[in-house]
Parts: sequence; C-alpha cells; structure tokens
Amino acid sequence: MLELLSKKLDWVDVQYWFHIFNDLSLFYIILPFFVLELIRYAYLKRLNKDLILDSIANVITFGAFFVIEILLGLLAVTKVYFWIYHNFSLPHLDLNWITIITCILLADFAYYWEHRMMHRVGIGWATHTVHHSSTHFNISVAYRFGPLDGISAILFSLPIVMLGFDPLLVLLSEVFVLAFQALLHTEIIGKLTKPVEYIFNTPSHHRVHHGSNRQYWDKNYAGILIIWDRMLGTFEPEVEEVRYGISEPLQSNNPIKVFLHGISRLFRKLKKVDGFKNKLLVFIKPPDWMPKNQDLVNAKSDG
Amino acid sequence: MKNSIVVFRSLAILVILAGAAHLVSYASSKQGIIQESKVSTDAYTNPKSSKEEIPNEIPETDYLEGNWKVNYSTEGFKGAVVYSIKKEGEAFHAYTYQYQDEQGNSEEADGAKTVTINTFDGTTGKGIYTMKYEQELYEIDC
Repeated sequence: MLELLSKKLDWVDVQYWFHIFNDLSLFYIILPFFVLELIRYAYLKRLNKDLILDSIANVITFGAFFVIEILLGLLAVTKVYFWIYHNFSLPHLDLNWITIITCILLADFAYYWEHRMMHRVGIGWATHTVHHSSTHFNISVAYRFGPLDGISAILFSLPIVMLGFDPLLVLLSEVFVLAFQALLHTEIIGKLTKPVEYIFNTPSHHRVHHGSNRQYWDKNYAGILIIWDRMLGTFEPEVEEVRYGISEPLQSNNPIKVFLHGISRLFRKLKKVDGFKNKLLVFIKPPDWMPKNQDLVNAKSDG
Repeated sequence: MKNSIVVFRSLAILVILAGAAHLVSYASSKQGIIQESKVSTDAYTNPKSSKEEIPNEIPETDYLEGNWKVNYSTEGFKGAVVYSIKKEGEAFHAYTYQYQDEQGNSEEADGAKTVTINTFDGTTGKGIYTMKYEQELYEIDC
C-alpha cells in the first residue's frame, strides 16, 4: 500500500489526466449537458428570452473573468507560487498518488474557506454576488463570474504551497475542484443516494447554496466534499423549493451591469456610510453589516 | 457552532491531510525507495561543451527527476549526498535530500537548492552550481 501511494508518477501523465477532466470536460460534459437543459426548458415551456439572455451574459462574464484570471494567474503562478515554494515551504513533496489525493482534498478545503469568505466579507461578496445574481439555475450559471473572483483563490492556495506541494499540482487541483463544482449547477438531477449525498457535494446541496430563501443563506459552501460543511456548521439540506437569485434582484441581463453590479453596489454603500473607519469596515465586515447608528437598507443579498 | 471549534477542526483537517502526504513521503524514503545512481567525483571529467544549447523541453530527459545519490571521495568529505531533482518550468533543480557517511549512516538534509540545470540533451548540459562558503553564496557555472 505504502509503495503504491508513494510510487513516483510522471508529470506528463498527471498533466494529461488533469487535462482530460479539467479542460476537455467542457466539450464532452458541459456543452452536451447544457444542450440537454435547453431541451428540458423547451419541453417545460420555460425557454424564454430572459433565459437566453441570462445564459449569454453568463458566458460573457466568464470571458471577462478569464482575461483577468490569465493576467493574474500567470503572474501569481510563475512568480508568487514558486517564490513561496522555494523560500517558505516545508520539504518539497514528490509527485505520487498520496500527494495528488491530499493536494486535491486540501484544494477542496481551501475552496470551502475561500467560498465562505466570499460570502461573509464585504469585498468578497461584491464580486461573488455576480455568480448568485441569476434567477435561473443551469450549467451556464457555473461560468457566471465576478471581476475579482480569482484573487482570493490565490491567497487561499498559497498555504498549500507552503506545506510542500508543487505549485503546478496545486493549480491543477484547484481547477479540478472548480470543474467538479460546475457540474452541480443543474435542476435536472434530483437527490442522489444517501451515502453520496452525505459525503459529496451534489446538485441538491448546491441548489440550496444558490437559494434566496432565508434559511438557505450562507449554506453549503463545499466544492467536492459536503463533509466540510457538515463538520463546520454550515450544512443545510434541500427541503423547501429553492428560489434562485439574490434578495435585491439585479433585473438586468446586460453583461456589463451583471459583471460590475456588485462592485457598484459596494461603492454606493461606501458613499452612504459615514466615517473612514466605517468605510474600511464595509470591506471586511459581512455584506449585511451597517454601522449601528445608520438605519439604512442592508445591501445584503445572499444566495 | 463556536468559532473555536471551527478553528480547531480546520487545523486538524490541515494537519491530517498534509501530515499524511509528508508521512508517506518520509516512510517511503526510509524504505530506500531511491533511484540508485552512483556518480563518483573521481570519475568526473569536464563535459564537452555542446555547441548548441538545448532547453529542457525534451520529455525523454524527464528521467532526471527523482532522487539521485552522488558518492564523494575527496579530502574534505567521504560519503554520499542524495539530491532530489525536480523539473520546475524548463529547468531542473537539485535539492539536497540526505547526507550519508562512509558507514552508511544517514541524516536528512536541509533541502537547499544546489544545482540548476538549464539545458540538458540527455548527455551533456549546462547549469549553475550554488555553494555557500563563509556565509557567502557563490554561483558557479558548470
């Protein structure tokens, strides 16, 4: 067993398998599945102009996010990650099965905390609200990103690099978690068998995460494993029918408005809040936070 | 749920996952799962300089990655050093992994980067040897 887990693997093979799931799944799972969802919408007579424009906006926000991500990602991975790896890291780990498995689990756990932070910190929600602002729930919503969505991921993955994991493996594991999570954005799949629902994040759990029903706010942050939510007190099962979107609806499918509405709402809130200290606190306090002496309508719009 | 419980459980998860990876890595190295390669400094000869620099993009040279044991027989040191070679970007980097004396006693090394191999065509290559002498770092082309 020890020999199997510690058997040295070839980077070429590892990158190949990650490529098949991380990159190519767009073609052999995501796109066919989206077509299936469109057929389902048509069958249920829910295929309308709003849904089409919403899906187009999703793809455009992904394009804008991708450009920002590439610029940041190249800088972070080639410079910051390797600098940390060579200067502030535990002994470097070889590329073997145990390293890959634990790295994916750690990336998944880092994703949980990053996601939780995005919901519970003002600046995080300003960008992540984009993802939650759609009133629909299909696989194209998985690609609806805000402008700063990639930055916090870098911060949360650096500790994994410091633990001795190769930066490239960390990056591949992060994308693996995101690719898995993309598959959960669907109404087609109901609840799965109990053991699966207990351990893994499923479409049912993720529908809850996107719900604007009050009891569903700030729940089910998981990427691959729902056990993180169960262990850390943020799990909520799907019981009541989910209403998708945010409590202060966007009511626009303009891709620019969709992409930037969280940031513009944050700036509006900053204008309303008095005092420099309070303005700073707007960035780091939860999105529904307001100074005690200011009786303003909360900007909280969790999903 | 109390914040202290959340913090404690999170730290426990980190320790268990990272610890498992390091433990298995440590245990396998103790079992001697090392690629055996004996390079004696006695047999060292100046490599012929290649006319054309070839970057490390040839997958066939990836076999360099792994743990390599180098035997030293000099006045200052008789024994062996195990280097861990990793490909990072286009270059191979060799980190000190373990020191061994003549009797075979071993001691874990500090993981310092010792050699950077910038080009290697399967036979010859070029790189930089980094050494520390009297608190000063020296980089020597090799």
